[in-house]
Amino acid sequence: MSLLRSMADGLRSLFRKEQVSQELDEELNGFLEMAAEQKMKQGMGRKDALRAVRLERGSLEVTKQVVRSASWEFLVEACWQDLRFAARVLRKNPGFAAVAILTLALGIGANTAIFSVVQGVLLAPLPYHEPDRLVTVWLNNFRLKSPTELSYRDFMDWERAAPPFEEMSAYAWRSFDLSSPGNPEHLEGREISSDFLSTLGVELALGREFSAEEDRNGGAPVAIISNELWQDRFGGSATALGKSIVLDGVETTVVGVLQPGFRFGNDYADVYIPIGQRRLVDANDRTVHDVACVARLKRGVSLREADAEMNAIQENIDRLNPETEQGLGAKILPAKELLVGDVRGTLLLLLGAVSLVLLIACANVANLLLARSAARAREFSIRAALGAGCGRIVRQLITESVLLSVLGGVLGLAAAKWGLNAVLATRAADLPRSDNIHVNATVLFFALGVSITVGILFGLAPALRSSRADLQPSLKEGGRGATGGHHLTQSGLVIVQIALTLVLLAGAGLLFRTVQRLWKADLGFESQHVLTFRVGLSPSATKTGAGVRAAYQQLLDRIRQVPGVQGAEITTEVPMTHQINSIPFWVDSHRPASVAEAPRTLGFITGPDFLQTMRVPLIRGRFISQQDTINSPLVAVIDSELARTYFPGKDPIGRTMTFPQVGDYRIIGVVGHVQHWQVGFSSPFMQNQSYVSIYQVPDRWMTTIDTWTWVVVRTPLAVSIVLPEIREAVYRAAADQTVYHAQTMAEIVSESMSPQRFPLILLGSFASLALLLASIGIYGVISYSVTQRVHEIGIRMALGAEKRDVFRMVVLQGLTLALAGLVIGVAAELVLTRLLSSFSHLLYGVGASDPATLVSVSAVLIGVAILACYLPARRAMRVDPMVALRYE
Amino acid sequence: MLILKTLALEPMHGYGIAVRLEQMSKGVFRLNAGSLFVAFQRLQRAGLITSEWKATENSRRARYYVLTDQGRKRLNSETREWGRQVAAIARILEAS
Repeated sequence: MSLLRSMADGLRSLFRKEQVSQELDEELNGFLEMAAEQKMKQGMGRKDALRAVRLERGSLEVTKQVVRSASWEFLVEACWQDLRFAARVLRKNPGFAAVAILTLALGIGANTAIFSVVQGVLLAPLPYHEPDRLVTVWLNNFRLKSPTELSYRDFMDWERAAPPFEEMSAYAWRSFDLSSPGNPEHLEGREISSDFLSTLGVELALGREFSAEEDRNGGAPVAIISNELWQDRFGGSATALGKSIVLDGVETTVVGVLQPGFRFGNDYADVYIPIGQRRLVDANDRTVHDVACVARLKRGVSLREADAEMNAIQENIDRLNPETEQGLGAKILPAKELLVGDVRGTLLLLLGAVSLVLLIACANVANLLLARSAARAREFSIRAALGAGCGRIVRQLITESVLLSVLGGVLGLAAAKWGLNAVLATRAADLPRSDNIHVNATVLFFALGVSITVGILFGLAPALRSSRADLQPSLKEGGRGATGGHHLTQSGLVIVQIALTLVLLAGAGLLFRTVQRLWKADLGFESQHVLTFRVGLSPSATKTGAGVRAAYQQLLDRIRQVPGVQGAEITTEVPMTHQINSIPFWVDSHRPASVAEAPRTLGFITGPDFLQTMRVPLIRGRFISQQDTINSPLVAVIDSELARTYFPGKDPIGRTMTFPQVGDYRIIGVVGHVQHWQVGFSSPFMQNQSYVSIYQVPDRWMTTIDTWTWVVVRTPLAVSIVLPEIREAVYRAAADQTVYHAQTMAEIVSESMSPQRFPLILLGSFASLALLLASIGIYGVISYSVTQRVHEIGIRMALGAEKRDVFRMVVLQGLTLALAGLVIGVAAELVLTRLLSSFSHLLYGVGASDPATLVSVSAVLIGVAILACYLPARRAMRVDPMVALRYE
Repeated sequence: MLILKTLALEPMHGYGIAVRLEQMSKGVFRLNAGSLFVAFQRLQRAGLITSEWKATENSRRARYYVLTDQGRKRLNSETREWGRQVAAIARILEAS
């Protein structure tokens, strides 16, 4: 109540200053008059009486000041005054203000941009109901030490076993060819269990989820479609519900429409169908692990408890199905971990790097302010002499610097918005949740907070220095004030700048060398002149295995006839596209107790020409040929890695490897190892590779194989020329076949480097920004010191110093600073790269303390430092001793 | 507390309060205008007194301060508290 009254009263005196001040005036006047009258009654003259009263009770003006400053609104008013004064000061020095604000805008802008990415990707909660309780559940293969997806049978077993979840749902990847309504098109689709959307807590825009009856074998064909597809195919009309779309030749009823932009993490799909309707051969096969499990933890159940419970459940399943499951446990991960993935380290690294840039910018502005505060020393001395307290002057200076930084921040926000687009352009597709990145309220708040903090940070040092300055010397005409101390602080700041810049440069340099090495790395195949794309076979062709085989033959014949095509083949795996066709196997008769405990190989199911088309070298034996068909004995080609691990020192040719549920394959050849994962990085498991003929795949799998096959084409022609011809050839083979996801192998290889390229581009730009700022810093300090030392230089020259000596003196001064910074910077770099594993994990082919990199970035830095000293040094050289000394 | 006490009998203007305080304390408390008016502002904002412009006996305009109910309560409680403290201090002093 009294607080409210105080607020109201304070506001009144703020906004109706005139009236309040008049009332106070009148009241005080009355008070003094009355006191004087009292004295006059005792016989004093009016003048004497007034004087006596003033002596006794204090004068009118002082009293007014005392009364006014006792209330809080006075503080507000003083700050407002400071602010207006600060604005005037800045307007009078537009050059200084512009440089300072621009510097800050760059620093704050870069920080805000990176922070918006961190905020959008890492900090913002997932757009689902109570996302903290959402988890993903995996099978944990103890032998391979890696969590994998589960089979649909596993999922159903889990569901029956009363898991520690409120809800649990399945999710599997699948794609469709949509042929009606509208033009035929290949669509990303997913199979989901009936409670998938309710597990996430997501509402449909229209219609309903799948019913339990629909989510089982033999249920009516139904689909939920994305809002985007709904707009595209049904014009956003509510009558779409109950209409049918044709998916892979099957009439399917639309029962629901999703909210606009719905995706599961980063995963977008247009069509969702019930997972329970999958073919029995897939649904009952415990070795087909293609289902992801999303669940909502029961309230109050911790991740660890749930994990223990799930492991107990899986142990039971293992016991019941020893042949396939023994050696499998369960693993629960927070949903966010899956959806955000491994960019966390990189993003935090970048945030750290960009804050270094901000520090450098701060040091620059602090230096500018220091130089200026030396020039303003007289102003502050006068104010101090007139009675301004030390606190008052500090507050004034801090107000000025905060005003600067907030202006910088506003400009920085604009820069951030622009920079963010640049950042996203470098890696939009690869950054999870990139659609969630924008400049929002949190980001604004961050920018404001950073601006104010930064303003206080760089304003404090000069402010404290100014307020402490001795009054006497600077008040004297021509006195130069306490400049020696300034100089020391400025030099210190420059040294820090150089050190920070070196750290950034070294980081960027190491990444640059990494990317250079990656480009030169041996991939195991020739990535140039290879085009890849996918083909959706026409539904009529995929009825039987023989039909699919014939369709592929026909398709490839057509493509091979396109002029300029040197080779074309079908494959299920394209290197570096993150496809994992992981197949358990064993050699000869070493059958393990359980399939889960068997070693794995990456299975390339290809046509006979694949290895030649990719130019993978043959080491021993022969390639798969046209003569290896469904009617001839099964044959396989293995890579050198598998040969080395499982046939050490022996000849694998003619030995047998067994793929469970498929059969025994005779090894007929050994080829070179292909980099299937990211270039230069060894995946923790599955380096073994083997190749089998697509024409020897049993019929039951052949009919669905087209959902995961690619075509690779070797051609020296440009994509833009050859692709339309290929498209034409494919359509001529069958009109309802679609060509999609066309990409050159070179593009795929380059994309696989994006974990390095993304931070390289950003770190590189931060480092150049830092270099620019640091060189401005050196330039500023050296040229300031030259100005200060004009006298000294004049005297030196009058005493016979050569111009060359003066030049050398100035440059040496700058170099000393740069060298000191270099030493500190190198030390910091050596420590940091060891501490930051998220950085050293990005490197390939270079050590974190690679001397060549350190030497070359140091050289760059020294070069820039000399350049920055050059201009002031020339000015020093031109000092005319007569002019300099006449000044006195 | 002292200002509240002077207002307990009747509303008064600033100078009146100063004079009354002086009289009541027999010249011990001689307040300077600054402290007096700061105190008025504080008490007013705390809701213990209110004020209005009125004519004085010498037909001069002056701001008269009035004790509110809340102020009266505070005066009573503070007087009691003060009494207790003084008594306690006195006892301590006598004891030694």
